[in-house]
Amino acid sequence: MKKLAILLVVALVAAAPFVVGGYETNVLMNALLYVILATGLNLVAGYCGQFSFAQGAFYGIGAYTTAILSRDLGTGFWFNFPVGIAVAGLFGLLLGIPALRLKGHFLAIVTIAFQTIVYLTLSQWTSFTGGQTGLPVPSIGPVSLFGTTLFEITSLRSYFWFTLVIAVILLFAVWRLLQSRIGREWIAIRDDETLASAVGLDTTRGKLTAFVGSAALAGAAGVITAHAMRGVTPDDFTIWISATVVAMMIVGGKGTFIGPIIGAVLLTSMPEFLGGFAEYKMFLFGVLLVITVTLLPEGLIGRVRRLRERFS
Amino acid sequence: MDLFLQYLANGVVIGSSYVLVAVGLTLIFGILGVVNFAHGEFYMLGAYAGVTAVTLFGMPLPLALAVVLVFSALLGFGAEAILHKPMKNRDATSSIISSFGLAVALQNAALLTLGPQPRLLKTEFSTIPIELGPVFMPLQRALIPVAMMVLIGALYLILRYTWTGRSLRSMSQHATVARLCGVRVERVAVVTFMVGAALAGVAGFLMSSVFMVHPIIGNMIVLKAFTVVILGGMGNILGAAVAGLLLGITESMTSAYLANGLRDIIGFVIVIAVLLFRPQGLFGKAFERS
Amino acid sequence: MTSVPVLEAKNLTRRFGGVVAVNDVSLRVGRSEIVGLIGPNGSGKSTMVNLITGELPADGGRLIFDGADISSQPSYRRARLGMARSFQMLRLFLSLSVEENLLLAHHIRMKSSMFDTIIARRSAVEEENSVRKRARELLAWFDLEEFADNPVSALSIGQQRMVELARGLISEPKLFVLDEPAAGLSPPNVDRLITLIHRMRDEFGMSILLVEHDMRVVRDLCDHVVVLDSGVMIAKGIPEMVVKDPVVVEAYIGSGWKRRAKA
Repeated sequence: MKKLAILLVVALVAAAPFVVGGYETNVLMNALLYVILATGLNLVAGYCGQFSFAQGAFYGIGAYTTAILSRDLGTGFWFNFPVGIAVAGLFGLLLGIPALRLKGHFLAIVTIAFQTIVYLTLSQWTSFTGGQTGLPVPSIGPVSLFGTTLFEITSLRSYFWFTLVIAVILLFAVWRLLQSRIGREWIAIRDDETLASAVGLDTTRGKLTAFVGSAALAGAAGVITAHAMRGVTPDDFTIWISATVVAMMIVGGKGTFIGPIIGAVLLTSMPEFLGGFAEYKMFLFGVLLVITVTLLPEGLIGRVRRLRERFS
Repeated sequence: MDLFLQYLANGVVIGSSYVLVAVGLTLIFGILGVVNFAHGEFYMLGAYAGVTAVTLFGMPLPLALAVVLVFSALLGFGAEAILHKPMKNRDATSSIISSFGLAVALQNAALLTLGPQPRLLKTEFSTIPIELGPVFMPLQRALIPVAMMVLIGALYLILRYTWTGRSLRSMSQHATVARLCGVRVERVAVVTFMVGAALAGVAGFLMSSVFMVHPIIGNMIVLKAFTVVILGGMGNILGAAVAGLLLGITESMTSAYLANGLRDIIGFVIVIAVLLFRPQGLFGKAFERS
Repeated sequence: MTSVPVLEAKNLTRRFGGVVAVNDVSLRVGRSEIVGLIGPNGSGKSTMVNLITGELPADGGRLIFDGADISSQPSYRRARLGMARSFQMLRLFLSLSVEENLLLAHHIRMKSSMFDTIIARRSAVEEENSVRKRARELLAWFDLEEFADNPVSALSIGQQRMVELARGLISEPKLFVLDEPAAGLSPPNVDRLITLIHRMRDEFGMSILLVEHDMRVVRDLCDHVVVLDSGVMIAKGIPEMVVKDPVVVEAYIGSGWKRRAKA
């Protein structure tokens, strides 16, 4: 039943480009990318309880990895994709090290400092990253197997479908991860770290895997974005992107699988519902974030679950 | 050597603005435990208020300064009602996220109402040059460190010798005990936010003659102020004052002798190192967590 | 049999600033033995427990567990070597169910790799199922089977104490350190607790280090008792003798009247 519902939703999303125009398809694709980013953040912040304001930095690291690789080595998407994920994951490991010693405010500030350093490096190190103007990135192009071209990823629609496939695969992997022992251990670390080590869990390893997983997902989204946009600029990966991802996770409900997905879709499509008020988008965004944290700290999903419990 | 002194002076000017922003931030953190990311917006709005008072209403500088103080303090009053009052008994990250939201909202409100075009404050002092040996700068710029020292000195005296100051300090030691001893915690919270906002607003106004004023100037300054707060030790006012000047000087020297591109990065690199190896800050006392 | 003790603490010392919370204390717990650690409030019992389980590093002394020196091992490694503990202030993973709380404590005994569980390899799934079955059995032992799927936060304090004990048992420890397990329990529940701890030793053959305030619990359960006062060991021996020792009596009630006498 549940499987059927999920299949139906995926099928509906996949059919969307036949019904809506190019602009809407683009919005949907953005939503998918944010779903990956918010789900990634949720691993570390929602499940493992280690706050991070650096998801935008890992997103950028993934994107710039593919941009620099294709510029310097001429390698294509299929080589750059795993490399981009690995490089982002490696930086995730690096940021995870402070998290072993710091908590709460201090950890949050370290992740913010890290995000800022990455942004400044992307925008200042002109000879390596292209500075403020960024770098061009080629299209993914034809996908061939045994010498025959299967299909081409160049049009908006093909990018959308490709992103959908990747997003579904990644979400499935995350779901499996959360159902496995490691998911349970993350929750244990979040609930009570002292107790977690008292029952024999290696909390160091647990936190680091959460940081790596979280960063790797952002890296994956970054590589796809770079190719889809045909280029990268530092301003696509500011701390405000990180804040947006945090907002999506919080609004949807952190520590739940579906919450960040709903939050990402909701906040990405919100400006489209504003019509003539679209320029108030970011303003409303901020207001919404304040209201959610203040009134619905457990997010939409958390609130819905609580209401359901009360009535059953 | 002459150039070195000039860089030093420039660093002190910039550093003074860091001090003003960071001291408010560290007060709000030390006393209320709130990590306020909207603090840069006090700076930004203070700058706009000052520029408007001077250019649109033709106010003399001291009067404009008073306007900025009052206006920013009111902003602080409002921010407390949003960021602190409803957030008691929440985990540390709630106030961070909420203040991030407030920062986004305020910045975009400024963008929508004031527009993106940058403004610069020009007054009768802008063109008067002063020379101190080899160091040269407009009088208005030289007044920034002076204003900073007067304000921080006044704040220090207030905290040291008045009833309000003692209440504030007792709160930072232990909120519950302070409440039991008759400190009106709610009022202290409001006063803390108002003082912090006023200092940041004045900093924005003072710097509006040095840097262009536009809606997103608060971003970088609040991040840098956080590095100063950590370097000085969370909640430590004198620490923040020293660290603020140090950061300004370090940035000025980095830009002059290393590379201009490294200027903004250096503080963040230092802060991560400090948090890893000396989490109590450069000037804080080591404490044992049991 | 009794030659190698499960736990041997040699001259443990721990300071907090200028205060010596535990001063040169030694104790040993033999196989299938229940050893009591008692003393008035602030005597250093909890610090001693934290030194043994590894929550706190010791400033001096050595710890031998099952014949190996574990002095420098972090707490999670000590747990893996076979040391379980309960907490004076009840500690459970509050957002997880009763069963999940037990499963987590058994992770360290599971053989399938993390990767196997992620790809849901048959052997990993079977192992998980058998562990769940074991958890249910243990919960039945504590009369908690019907609550297996409930969040632990929905249980009473007494029931949560039992979950803590079940959590320790499922990790198959050689030594179970119980930090004031009777705290907050009603008298009938204390009786039940005494029976259960007896059975834990008799049926599972484990050794127990029991920190306790309730003298009845100590007298009914312990083979040996070590008494701390102000971080120093002031007596040891069998419970009947120790509770009559004038030094111990003085430590427990004397500090009160001595202070009063001085005033």
